[in-house]
Amino acid sequence: MGVPALEVLGISKDFGRIIALRGVSFSVQSGEFVSILGRNGAGKTTLLNIISGVSRPSEGEVKLFGTDPSDRENKAKLAVISHEMFLYGNLTAIENLEYYSRIYNVPNPKQRIETVLNDVELTHRRFDLVATYSRGMTQRLTIARALLHEPSLLLLDEPFTGLDQHAIGMLITLLKKQKEMGRTILLTTHDLHTANELSDRYIVISKHKIVMDGLMTDTNPDAIREKFFSAEAGGIDS
Amino acid sequence: MMRTAISILKKDLRMEFRSKESILAMWIFSLLIFVIFNFTFEVSRLVMLEIAPGLLWVAFVFSGMFGLNQSFALEKENGNLRAMALMPVDGGQIYVGKFFSVTIIMLMFEALIFPIFIIFYDLQLSLGMFRLIPVLLAGTIGFTSLGTILSAVAVHTRNQQILLSLLLWPLVSPIIIWSVTLTGMVLSGEVTEAFYPLLLRVGAFDVIFFTLSYMLFDFILED
Repeated sequence: MGVPALEVLGISKDFGRIIALRGVSFSVQSGEFVSILGRNGAGKTTLLNIISGVSRPSEGEVKLFGTDPSDRENKAKLAVISHEMFLYGNLTAIENLEYYSRIYNVPNPKQRIETVLNDVELTHRRFDLVATYSRGMTQRLTIARALLHEPSLLLLDEPFTGLDQHAIGMLITLLKKQKEMGRTILLTTHDLHTANELSDRYIVISKHKIVMDGLMTDTNPDAIREKFFSAEAGGIDS
Repeated sequence: MMRTAISILKKDLRMEFRSKESILAMWIFSLLIFVIFNFTFEVSRLVMLEIAPGLLWVAFVFSGMFGLNQSFALEKENGNLRAMALMPVDGGQIYVGKFFSVTIIMLMFEALIFPIFIIFYDLQLSLGMFRLIPVLLAGTIGFTSLGTILSAVAVHTRNQQILLSLLLWPLVSPIIIWSVTLTGMVLSGEVTEAFYPLLLRVGAFDVIFFTLSYMLFDFILED
């Protein structure tokens, strides 16, 4: 087995007296799809911020492809999709994607932009200002932006929040496609059924530390819920 | 190497030209300052020449504060500040892009408001007025080089505008005071031998502020 795509080694994070994470350790192999489950405030977003290099841990270390996550080479291999859009409302879809393709030095940007817009079914609205988009359309464009530079590691922070059924279905299809292409994917969610449909493996975070880590094939959502509830009352949606 | 800076600059200018939000607000704010001062105080031309440089820079820096706040408020919207922290680029490049966009917008606003200032205060145009160009450039660059990085610091907080003022004013005051002195020399037509050394001093501060900000910007983007 080669160098893991991601290694999280004894991460702790506190914001003054508030503890966000305590001694979190796990590794993710290349091509693996891992879901991180946990209730709101469990520390999932903090963990993703540390993995993406935006935030530093109070203790412990993260390695992306064997090196520091804040390395520029690593950042170029990474994409984050969250409830934040990372888009400019006063620019059109094309202008937003052109901007990011220049920043990420995307080869053949015109062709690539056309492909990702087509994947998220937004070609017909490409010349419209993003401010005029619905929530679902904006999230689809967010996905297109994230996939633009063909990242090796996708970090998804509650990406289904606020999406309608059509957009959820489209995102699931896109994620399955990314998985087939061998991309490493880390998804935080509290939706067990979606996690079960997509992931190879699950990690449950409760009270700021990992309480469960296992393969999806070894269990089912009900079993995870059962175990989770025994660790802590309430939290994960079915 | 400058690809990122140019991309950010182009993006910012495109958004500004589309909305004209900053320039228009800055222009109206300055116009109000000129109108209020012009009609409130009836002073002799001599006294007017004394206060006009200060008035001009009051308009520039107060409006400039709006431009600075607006620049990073745009980035905070939709999490774009976090997107910047995730970019596989040197933070200094992001600083350069934001610095140039803020500076260009502010210089454009100054070019638009200066003729109004001349008309309101009945100042005589002369060839000597061209000396104002390096003064305005040096003063503005000093203000925006420091303002850009401090605006990026302040945008993380809830009281962004208050914090920016508290951080920026003490540090940028020498540049503004020297710029007012230099502007006064040009407007009164009394350019003494102290003019160029003082202009050079403003330029030196510009270089120091710009270089430090360029080097430190990576740390600002982190949470």
